[in-house]
Amino acid sequence: MTPARAALAEGWPLLLTSVVIGIPYGVIAREAGLSVVETSAMSVIVFAGATQFAAVELLRSGAGAPVVALTILLINARHLLMAAALRPFVGGASLVRRLGLAYILTDEAFAMGIGHFRRGHRDLSYYTVFGISLWCCWNAGTLAGAVFGAGVTDPSRFGIDFAITASFAAIVAIGVRHRADAIVALAAALVAAALRLGGASAVAVVAGRRPRAARGVRAP
Amino acid sequence: MTFWIAVVAGGVLTYLTRSIPLAMTLRGTAPAAARRYLDALPIAIIAALAGAGTAVPDGGPTGGAEVGAVIVAVAIGAWRRNLLFAVIAGVVNVAALRALGL
Repeated sequence: MTPARAALAEGWPLLLTSVVIGIPYGVIAREAGLSVVETSAMSVIVFAGATQFAAVELLRSGAGAPVVALTILLINARHLLMAAALRPFVGGASLVRRLGLAYILTDEAFAMGIGHFRRGHRDLSYYTVFGISLWCCWNAGTLAGAVFGAGVTDPSRFGIDFAITASFAAIVAIGVRHRADAIVALAAALVAAALRLGGASAVAVVAGRRPRAARGVRAP
Repeated sequence: MTFWIAVVAGGVLTYLTRSIPLAMTLRGTAPAAARRYLDALPIAIIAALAGAGTAVPDGGPTGGAEVGAVIVAVAIGAWRRNLLFAVIAGVVNVAALRALGL
């Protein structure tokens, strides 16, 4: 199977989920008073699921543009770490291509791409095809929700909403190569879970995982 | 107008967080400690996303269904080395456990 086909064959649960979660985003944005064009524009310009839900909430409550923009930045700051971690694998690509790859960088594309690289592959087509597909699915879901409105689906039915988390967990399980990896992964997962239970946002999850996970673990 | 300023500014800032590390090229070799850190980073990020999504799946703390399902997904992933298989097992399990009231 070519890497491009493998990306779709392995990634379809995530792609399906992004449609299923894009729909309620479209519905909620319309209910908050955004037009169809504005609702879709956010999915194209910002292209970050959880962030968009937060931005819509803030806009609905009458927050000013600086507050909304800074909130978007704070929630998305974790991309800095993901992009840094991805950098060694895109070494050969031109600057223009890297700038394109940056646009489709999401939690999901990062996890899928890293999973592919850790199995020893070096091509970028897996990440690229998955990232573009995810973009299409997210925007298709957004548009469907914005146009057709409420009453479409509840993602928590059938457990579809859990596909994203299950994918992350499985990618880690498959990507762990030695005991140090497993310790890092377990520490990061537990710290992030504790912070999240304590009400921390995605920002704190990124900041909190770093020192404890990386320190004191020596690669064999 | 507030909407467009907020979304365009937020979008540009988001794109910068995605693109700056990918656009930069550093010369020379990183110190060993930095390399070890960067080596551990990808798995740590993905594991943290999984941990956070399991603890608080949908705005509220998990009732236990997600914890059970994530253990199944990890076990099947480690055993069969098949992403699709592991994800489907996780989704089916979370649906079943939620149906049981967890």
